[in-house]
Amino acid sequence: MSVAELKARHVAATETVNSLRERLQQKRLLLLDTDDLIEVVAVAGYAKAHGKSSVSFGATDLVCCRTLQGHTGKVYSLDWTPEKNRIVSASQDGRLIVWNALTSQKTHAIKLPCAWVMTCAFSPTGQFVACGGLDSVCSIFNLNSPSDKDGNLPESKMLSGHKGYVSSCQYVPDEDTHLITSSGDHTCVLWDITTGLRTSVFGGEFQSGHTADVLSVSINGSNSRMFVSGSCDSTARLWDTRVASRAVRTFHGHEGDVNTVKFFPDGNRFGTGSDDGTCRLFDIRTGHQLQEYYQQHSDDEVRHVTSIAFSISGRLLFAGYSNGDCYVWDTLLAQVVLNLGSLQNSHESRISCLGLSADGSALCTGSYDTNLKIWAFGGHRKVI
Amino acid sequence: MDDSLPSPGEPRREDQHRTPSPSTLLPKTQPSGFYGKHRLAAAISNLQNQINYLQEELDQLEEIGEASIVCKELISSVESIPDPLLPLSKGPTNINWDRWFKGAQNSRKRWI
Repeated sequence: MSVAELKARHVAATETVNSLRERLQQKRLLLLDTDDLIEVVAVAGYAKAHGKSSVSFGATDLVCCRTLQGHTGKVYSLDWTPEKNRIVSASQDGRLIVWNALTSQKTHAIKLPCAWVMTCAFSPTGQFVACGGLDSVCSIFNLNSPSDKDGNLPESKMLSGHKGYVSSCQYVPDEDTHLITSSGDHTCVLWDITTGLRTSVFGGEFQSGHTADVLSVSINGSNSRMFVSGSCDSTARLWDTRVASRAVRTFHGHEGDVNTVKFFPDGNRFGTGSDDGTCRLFDIRTGHQLQEYYQQHSDDEVRHVTSIAFSISGRLLFAGYSNGDCYVWDTLLAQVVLNLGSLQNSHESRISCLGLSADGSALCTGSYDTNLKIWAFGGHRKVI
Repeated sequence: MDDSLPSPGEPRREDQHRTPSPSTLLPKTQPSGFYGKHRLAAAISNLQNQINYLQEELDQLEEIGEASIVCKELISSVESIPDPLLPLSKGPTNINWDRWFKGAQNSRKRWI
């Protein structure tokens, strides 16, 4: 290289240095309103710096107001109807039960062709329930159809195609015609229930996606074309249903199976729960991990997060753990404000599933103790 | 020789403080060219390190800036929605939220 060329490079490099210095200065000026630049990357730091105080529950504020008894085996999954007060639950006893949570009545008890059920879901209109499990099939039942001569409700549709167990299923909001499943075959599938065919397969042999069993899905309530999945490969992935070939983004951070994922109410973030004992909050647009929810313990007890749900504003994160705890986290300040597992009338065994009613007024928990419980706020409310 | 550059060693007034003009950093060129090349190359390498460092810092600030906007948005979204399970929440409240503590309307069942 000639001297002249070197000189030119030198000039260019110096100009670049100057321009970068100027941009840095401008950037720093813009950030001057944040108190602590380092803390701000996690929500709790930001919230504390801005004077937010923790949610505080009185001793009798959140109470168990119903216990739904009827299953004779561990409860694995539950789902509320989008309106009204009905819940469908799936159990190791090989049955789906449909409950009116307000009256505690059972409206349907469906004996399943395959007893090894892992997940269940209500359709948006409340007319259908879907379930899936070790048979690798997602079965649909029409609650309005008559029972057969043995008193059993016949399947109205069987969605076959997965090469592994069906771990989780959710109907696409506003349509009874499409649902998304996650599977032990490493894929998620969007199904057209009318035809019984797969509309799209997310991941799998010929596409990039999860590299281990997928355990959970959650569809974005604000944009039903987006859904998130959690897997034994320790990641969560965000998908666009129009693009099956690859995930929009992969979220790393967990150090164990991601057992549960749930979209945040505003649709711009989602929560995860894992075998590593932590829950995390991720932002879908920037990919940032916004907060980790983890409480240190001095003992060696294993605490896997089995299921999570957000309250309707997102201020509370309910997390069920394998040791029977059910922490209520203040999502903004990352503090545990209550343990439902230690309250009176609580479950006697691990909480395997959680779900919030459509209007956010009640939380339902399902447990290995075979019961479901309804929790609501019975204290005095203050309005801001 | 490059005629468009001002002579070395004469800093311009506005460049006194933090932004050296390209020309003031140019090492003096030697007649033989070799020594000059060596120095130039070293200076360029130095500048490249600075560039990397500055870019990294800029990236970090960019991330923090984004994160703080995201945090602000999150808090604002959470605080704008009435939540039946919170002791302190934005209104309005809804009478139906308390249905879990009343008897169901048309049934004789009572809650346990």
